[in-house]
Amino acid sequence: MSGQRRYAGDRAPLDRNWLAKQRRHLRLWRRFFVQALVRETHYRAHLVTTLLVGVVQLGLGIVPILLLFGYTDEVHGWSQAEVIALAGMFQIVTGLMATFVAPNMNRMTTYLTEGELDGVLLRPVSSQFYLTLRRINVAELSNVAGGLVVLVIGLVRSDAGPSLVHIGQALVLVACGIVLLSSVWSALSFLAFWLQSVDSIGVIYLNMVEAGRYPLAFFPVAVRSFLTFAFPVAFASTYPVQALSGDVGWLPVVGGLALTAVAVTLVRMMWRRGLRTYASASS
Amino acid sequence: MSGFARELRVLRRMTVAEIVQQSIYRGAWVIYMAANICVPIISLLIWRTAIASGAQLPIDERYVTTYFVLLSLVTMATSSWMAGFLAADIRLGKLSSWMVRPASLLLGFVANNLSEKFLKLFALVPMVGILWWIFRDSMNIPAGPGHWAVFVVSLVLGAILVFTIDLLIGSLAFWMDDVAALAQARLIIASVLSGAVVPLALMPDWSRGFIDHQPFRFTVSFPVEIVAGSLTGSELVTGLAIQFGYVLGFGVLARLVWSAGIRSYSAVGA
Repeated sequence: MSGQRRYAGDRAPLDRNWLAKQRRHLRLWRRFFVQALVRETHYRAHLVTTLLVGVVQLGLGIVPILLLFGYTDEVHGWSQAEVIALAGMFQIVTGLMATFVAPNMNRMTTYLTEGELDGVLLRPVSSQFYLTLRRINVAELSNVAGGLVVLVIGLVRSDAGPSLVHIGQALVLVACGIVLLSSVWSALSFLAFWLQSVDSIGVIYLNMVEAGRYPLAFFPVAVRSFLTFAFPVAFASTYPVQALSGDVGWLPVVGGLALTAVAVTLVRMMWRRGLRTYASASS
Repeated sequence: MSGFARELRVLRRMTVAEIVQQSIYRGAWVIYMAANICVPIISLLIWRTAIASGAQLPIDERYVTTYFVLLSLVTMATSSWMAGFLAADIRLGKLSSWMVRPASLLLGFVANNLSEKFLKLFALVPMVGILWWIFRDSMNIPAGPGHWAVFVVSLVLGAILVFTIDLLIGSLAFWMDDVAALAQARLIIASVLSGAVVPLALMPDWSRGFIDHQPFRFTVSFPVEIVAGSLTGSELVTGLAIQFGYVLGFGVLARLVWSAGIRSYSAVGA
């Protein structure tokens, strides 16, 4: 900061250090959430329709599983109850993404092509943070609750009794899964810097993520590595459920954390590159 | 008859204009079609795994593979997305300006439907072709052009059927404020009953009678079955007859509802 010219006279920097900056952003995010909560109370019918659509989607997702296990007892070591638990886990993750990430990704084209980003760049906030997490759709949290119910039903029926360690592993894996999927979706959305419109790319993401409804073992080997490393939906459903039934080692947990670190770094770099090409749309 | 010929001429002109207009977004169509094919591929891999691991399905691997390879093409070719737009035109009064024109507002929707499908076809056919090539060893390819001709006929009938159902839902905007929920419900119900999620052949036995005769089977599943399945000659004829019956039935119903709607229309914004 010291070498920079200042136009508004000497002023203390906004944050003392890196940690204070993160804390300020956390405080901001809490404000976003409270604001979204207040906003939601104005549209109560929205909550009901979101819940209804979510329940129907969850039900529809389970139909193929029920049909499939009508013809066999297990597929590659997965029983019906375990796959239902997985459907619940998938619903939790997609619900959280729909709450906190999707409303922002769906606006990326508007932000970048109609010049709304201009206004964000002027604010004392990380622009990537703002564009990725500003908007929150609280109603979708009802689907997280629905997913939780299905997960518990599945776990009880499969006689899984996860220990605290296993629950801890599952939580870490789910967190990694959410951050990884958000990174992929962000990267796809940030293509708007170069492609102008990315609405159609969002549709690709939403269709591909459907692969997470099924255990990784249901796919051919080549597809499995794609769904673990390139489009890492495995961390969002398969690994956490395996953790809860007690048969995931520490390798996926450590691997997930490492992969997450790499993905976040790459997306951060991509954002910086994109920002340099941004020429503003309105000014 | 000259009236019909004129309508056709207008339709051709409007379709060409729409194609020119929509081809601006050709990149987006390619990406949308790539998205469209994702879920059928996922289903294809899942059911093949199930068969390979010993599940005793009532259908074999060849049926499953052919079914899901063709699925995205058929769902695209028979889709309709007009209900929301039609409802908006009725509610906001855009219909008024069309009522003094020498062509129906619906003609515009037909042109839009045909032109978008024409462009989507260019994007989707190569993708389905690649998929077909990858799984060429387990594809059912019907012998002779006869099956393919019947497939095309049933595809066209299916497209008309979906369009008519969609028109019926959109027309309700003459009396209802919001048909979005109904249109959404139609999509959700259709995704299961048309066979777009799971082949109808895998539905449980107790649902057979209903599943085989309900209208949504003839929007997606039936055309695919003609290629993928082993429908006997009489099943084929019965199926086509039922499909034609539904097209006629829904057509008459839509015609009645539409003209009743036009009579009760009070021209908002005129």
